[in-house]
Amino acid sequence: SNVCHVAAPDLAATSRPRKADKDEEEKPLQAVLVADSFNRRFFPITKDQPRALLPLANVSMIDYTLEFLTSTGVQETFVFCCWMASKIKEHLQKSKWCRPTSPNVVHVITSDLYRSLGDVLRDVDAKALVRSDFLLVYGDVVSNIDVSQALQEHKQRRSMDKNVSVMTMIFKESPPGHKTRCEDDDIIVAMDGKSKRILHYQRAQALKKLHFPMVRCLEVGSDEFEIRFDLLDCHISICSPQVAELFTDNFDYQTKNDFVRGLLVNEEILGNQIHMHVTRDGYGARVSNLLMYDTVSSDTIRRWIYPITPEANFADQEGQSCTHSRHNVYREPGVSLGHGSQMEENVLIGRNTVIGANCTISNTVIGANCVIGDNVTLDRAYIWNRVHIADNVKVKQSVICDNVEVKHGVVLSEQCVLAYNVVVGPDITLPEGTVLSMHHPDEEDDEDEDEFLSDDNDVGYSKDKTKQKVFNPAEVGSEGKGYRWKSSSLDDTEEDELAECIWGLALSADPESDSESEVSEGSHDLGSHPASPELDDVKVFQNEVHGTLQRGLDENISCDNLVLEINSLKYAYNISLKEVMQILMRVVLEFPFQQQGAQISTAQYSSHLLPLLKKWAPVFKNYVKRPQDQLDCLASMEEVFLECETHWAVLMSMYQLEILEEEGIMHWFNQGSTTDKSQQLRRNQGLLKFIKWLQEAEESSEGDE
Amino acid sequence: EIHEPEEVSVWFREGSSCCQETLARNQRFTETPVNMPGADKETDLSERIESFLSELKRCGSGAGSLRGSAETARETTALLRRITAQARWGNAGELMEIIRKEGRRMTAAQPSETTVGNMIRRVLKIIREEYARSRGSSEETDQQESLHKLLTSGGSSEDNFRQHFTHLKANVIEAINELLTELEGTTDNISMQALEHIHSNEVIMTIGRSRTVEAFLKDAARKRKFHVIVAECAPFCQGHEMATSLCKEDIETTVIPDAAIFAVMSRVNKVIIGTQTVLANGGLRAVNGTHTLALAAKHHSTPLIVCAPMFKLSPQFPNEEDTFHKFVSPHEVLPFTEGEILSKVNAHCPVFDYVPPELITLFISNIGGNAPSYIYRLMSELYHPEDHEL
Repeated sequence: SNVCHVAAPDLAATSRPRKADKDEEEKPLQAVLVADSFNRRFFPITKDQPRALLPLANVSMIDYTLEFLTSTGVQETFVFCCWMASKIKEHLQKSKWCRPTSPNVVHVITSDLYRSLGDVLRDVDAKALVRSDFLLVYGDVVSNIDVSQALQEHKQRRSMDKNVSVMTMIFKESPPGHKTRCEDDDIIVAMDGKSKRILHYQRAQALKKLHFPMVRCLEVGSDEFEIRFDLLDCHISICSPQVAELFTDNFDYQTKNDFVRGLLVNEEILGNQIHMHVTRDGYGARVSNLLMYDTVSSDTIRRWIYPITPEANFADQEGQSCTHSRHNVYREPGVSLGHGSQMEENVLIGRNTVIGANCTISNTVIGANCVIGDNVTLDRAYIWNRVHIADNVKVKQSVICDNVEVKHGVVLSEQCVLAYNVVVGPDITLPEGTVLSMHHPDEEDDEDEDEFLSDDNDVGYSKDKTKQKVFNPAEVGSEGKGYRWKSSSLDDTEEDELAECIWGLALSADPESDSESEVSEGSHDLGSHPASPELDDVKVFQNEVHGTLQRGLDENISCDNLVLEINSLKYAYNISLKEVMQILMRVVLEFPFQQQGAQISTAQYSSHLLPLLKKWAPVFKNYVKRPQDQLDCLASMEEVFLECETHWAVLMSMYQLEILEEEGIMHWFNQGSTTDKSQQLRRNQGLLKFIKWLQEAEESSEGDE
Repeated sequence: EIHEPEEVSVWFREGSSCCQETLARNQRFTETPVNMPGADKETDLSERIESFLSELKRCGSGAGSLRGSAETARETTALLRRITAQARWGNAGELMEIIRKEGRRMTAAQPSETTVGNMIRRVLKIIREEYARSRGSSEETDQQESLHKLLTSGGSSEDNFRQHFTHLKANVIEAINELLTELEGTTDNISMQALEHIHSNEVIMTIGRSRTVEAFLKDAARKRKFHVIVAECAPFCQGHEMATSLCKEDIETTVIPDAAIFAVMSRVNKVIIGTQTVLANGGLRAVNGTHTLALAAKHHSTPLIVCAPMFKLSPQFPNEEDTFHKFVSPHEVLPFTEGEILSKVNAHCPVFDYVPPELITLFISNIGGNAPSYIYRLMSELYHPEDHEL
């Protein structure tokens, strides 16, 4: 990896006390900006330009992020790039952030090896870049939140509680159905009402049923806790340096989601906590798909992110100062509007753009140096720079990238994407969700992994290649240039999902198709997310044992063969003998529940279990030999029966089948118990009777001798 | 920055020594580096300008900016003094060019904050005057430019500013210091006049929160008993803060919603308001709701008094559409948490109202009371006509 300091940290500038009233010991606030999304949501657009540089209301997204960081008081920012790093670096070098007067010193760190947020943070740790608490954001976060309050709370918590709290996540209240809620990011959060500590964090997308670990909430012992579904993750977090260390320690953490879940699951072991801060007035959202792009753009135009507004020209670019007039119409200098054309509302038009006569434009952003013909209707269109649109074109909720040419009579239905340099038309109607690009979708498969490593040269190379293939006039029009990236109406291929994802999940018909893309982000929907590989194996082993026994039952396999199979499983998953026994016990005891449901009565339960126990007694006997084995076995039984103590009659049959012996049971019973529940269990009438009977039987047998 | 003409470095040394002189007078700026090398000083200056610009850009997420315009005026003037002291210039023309250039950036950073532009114009005027004085010509002749003279002189008179005077810098800084002293005292000067306008047992109405009006009322309350009705000024409701602050001084205060202004007006003896800007035609650019208040006052023939320090006087006319309005986040009008409705409606939150001059009875500034028709005269005294456009 190569480190490049774009703005050499001006020692004179940094060493000088910026504010006299600031505490001498207080370290400057640092931020880690990840200028890569590590997914392909924006393909094919991001084949030519990294996501952080895509224009949002005519300003690159990364500029919004840097403006947010600077205005919230960050004095040093590390920008990590991977995909098209050189372009990002070039952009930053030209921007106001790298001027010597910038209050926020920006360092660009590039490496082709970053594959996830985890890699970046591990590198932060390896290079020891952060000295104290830092902000962690992505390069596509748009926000005006003032984090100073959250930061103060975070510091207070850390000073009070000996660095137990490692991270404060920032959320924005927005009820379900809010436009700015990203459906991919729907989350359910349980928190301690007073300390704002996060107890449970789960992505909720496409989940119909939710498993909720109440135990964990109750364990905390708090008087009140909240379960919230009205929060929008702003993707801004205040992290302590420990976060980077934790990523290093747990090399399997890839995303923030992994980290949060891993931390919460291992909370008792590691003793780390995560807290949250819900902001009231600020705005914060991440442009994670085109639907969010649409929403955030429109929020910017509607001034929700004030004081970051188009006319503020916060990026300080020459000639980009625009004027704001009624109905949120913004114009940069040199805009010309033909006779009879109307800019209805929420319109931003870039410099030197020429618009013809009788056009109707609403909720639209047009970039610089575009030419738009007569009788054009634009609604929710996002048109970037140097686009040519001929007469009689209609565009609805679509994205049109740089240098695209739309010939006359073209109609773009909703959610179309015309990637860089595409030519469309004339007189063609593109159906909903069409994605056109100069890159052939098949390139994808050819290059696959190398894709991430490729840079500008590669793009040129692929262009040559695409020339050999023929454009389909039915897809792009008789004079058109570009390939269609298949949409969901066709067969279920990989590209299909990619094209779907570009507009987010809101439109996707079946939620199953999302799973693929989600897995690539390394997240799991189910509550049974593995905390560590070890636990994973145990779980799988348990399932396998269950399957084996089921098969044994169905196909009437002999006990010897079952033992053989379980033994081979034991070696395959590297499970200790003790665990094998306990799992075996648990699986067998849970058998009736799985077949008949959890609500069966004691009588039913025993009647189902007894034949099974009789059948598999040799299997048990094979494993349960030493007195210690018996104790382990009983402990496992206890665990299962904690919930339903009436089923203890099973113990009796186990005794009768000579799986368990008298001494073992007595020993276990007299061992005493640790928790209230198991103590209560030992007071169970049925159990006491059985124990008493055992004792009497023992005495009488002694008497006989 | 490496190649530095000899002459300029001479200027620097002189500059820092003047700085020292002025420092002794004004304790607040003692942190000014004295023996700094030239290049470092330059970066320090541009750094300060940058931070001022970014502060301006961010200032005021609500209706009234986080700090008062008096503070902005003072900060702008102090920064201009620093530019005068530290930037490289050889004659008045160059200095004016620098200040104009930085001034354009400052006004562009926050067009709604007109005091910044006003202070730049004041300083430009000071430079003109000092230059004229150094040359020995009376400033009066420059001031009284007749129509004929304006017509015949043609192009800019800046060609005349190329002459070099040794003491110009010191003089200009001196004059800017006087301006700063004047700015410090504006609120006191205005509130001193309170007893002439507020009489016992009167009912006074005001809207929102103006620091000048607050001081004005409190000053009057030291001697007289009167009743103040405060219109709350939704959606930011600065009126609530105003009422709380007045109550602490034992002034009988009532808060009313904006919608009740007309109904209550018949009981009111006087309306006293503050403003964000006094426009060149004598009109106001004041907080939203002021127009309603002014119309109600006119209907009931209640006198409307505007407390406005001189630095709020702007050569801007109300038809300059682009910079006149200021729209902030619609959050206060329709909270972000509302959910679905947000995508179906457009919410706007404008901050300012235009109040035409015919609705205003009297301006009270730090130099006394004036009728709106006299504003144009004050304007020509304060600013040079060539500086109206920066």
